[in-house]
Amino acid sequence: MIKKVLFVDDDRILCRKILKKLERYKKRFTTLTAVDGLDAVDKLKENTISLVITDLQMPQWDGFALMAYLSEEYPDIPVIVQTAHSTPKAKQIALSRGAAGYIEKPYNIDDLGQKIIATLKKESEGGILQSVPLEMFIQLIEMEQKTCTIRVVEKKTDKHGVLFFKNGDLLDARISSLHGKSIAYEIFSWDEVTLSIQDECAVDKKRIDGDLQAILFEAIRLKDEATEKEELEANKKPATKAQKARATERDRAEPEPKALSLEENIKRTLESAMGGKKYLKDIYPDNSWSNFIVRASEIGKHFTAGSFKSCYIDKGQAIDFVILPGKEITVISVDPRCPRDRFLQALSG
Amino acid sequence: MKNLFRDILDIEDVHGVIFLSLDGKPVFNEFVSHPPKGLEHINWRLFIHSLDGVREAELVFENRRFFIKRAPSGYILVIMGETAPAEMVRLNCDILIPNLEKTSKKPKGLGRFFKLRQK
Repeated sequence: MIKKVLFVDDDRILCRKILKKLERYKKRFTTLTAVDGLDAVDKLKENTISLVITDLQMPQWDGFALMAYLSEEYPDIPVIVQTAHSTPKAKQIALSRGAAGYIEKPYNIDDLGQKIIATLKKESEGGILQSVPLEMFIQLIEMEQKTCTIRVVEKKTDKHGVLFFKNGDLLDARISSLHGKSIAYEIFSWDEVTLSIQDECAVDKKRIDGDLQAILFEAIRLKDEATEKEELEANKKPATKAQKARATERDRAEPEPKALSLEENIKRTLESAMGGKKYLKDIYPDNSWSNFIVRASEIGKHFTAGSFKSCYIDKGQAIDFVILPGKEITVISVDPRCPRDRFLQALSG
Repeated sequence: MKNLFRDILDIEDVHGVIFLSLDGKPVFNEFVSHPPKGLEHINWRLFIHSLDGVREAELVFENRRFFIKRAPSGYILVIMGETAPAEMVRLNCDILIPNLEKTSKKPKGLGRFFKLRQK
């Protein structure tokens, strides 16, 4: 993922020069420019910025005002201050107000480039994780009482969010310039995410009250509600002529299967365990899994595991399978979003 | 390789880990206590073949569970008791796979980030 750097300076000629010279780093980051603090604020709302480099003396909003704004609204974005009017006092003030770095004009563009790269690396100093279940990871942070900043990117939509933790406590969540609990709910609802871990947290103020577990549960509940609504909307659509014709043909071609009591039992057990959620797609006998059942049972014997009860299979397809060994092998096809452990527990019972 | 699987082995009620190549050849195994007898007699090739390219599987037996995760270079098989937190095992396998492929000595991400306590 190519990161974005925002260069803020009222000297437009300098901005154009910087844009051109920093192009050599285009494989690492791209550069945007803003002519003052207010312009920078607009650019921050429109883009996912990873680093701000700002001049101090600018009209309208100067560098200090911009830094104050960033520390409040975008505390995770590091700021490098650049100025031609450098005094030790100015440097001290800039660093005390949270600047991540300080560079005096005129500077060598390669020095600036290296400083940018080094600062950007900190975003993922704790590691990058792909396709990790976010709720589980968050619970681990709470358990281990970690202090960190987690940048979350949802793979499908490329949405970016940030979570701030201090000693395992969720202080805040941010998407663009929005903060708070509702933002945390949104981030926690994302499915396939990439996480970048930074081993520090720039936030001190707690903007999110409440227990993390309660927040996670609420996020999951809201997500389930939204999914149900979508499904209801989808089901409301009347069948097309083609769909009706196909259904009639199917009925004619295949005689209605006898209702098996085992299937009904399984269906009732699962619907009761899942609280009526429609994760269940189909239940049917299928002995094509017999070779797998035999091999798995042999493995189980070597480990004195007892009788083989069930198996959850994820083939990376649109549906997952639960296989129940027996005289006749029963296959349950399920939505991959189903709560797997609860499913298997219900079947074992 | 032992270090790569350390985080999984440290999870409560995980009994052992086996890593098999894509064609079922045992590459590595490590157990928390004694390995089961006759491990060398298991025909892993036939078992892997029966998986038919499954990405992930969880086998539930009377008193054991097996979690199987396919990596680009093989299959991770985690042997667990009934009380092992399966979600934690899955998560650690997800984290482990990139390191497995890099054959890096120093684990990154969760392995360095968290120390999972053994009761």
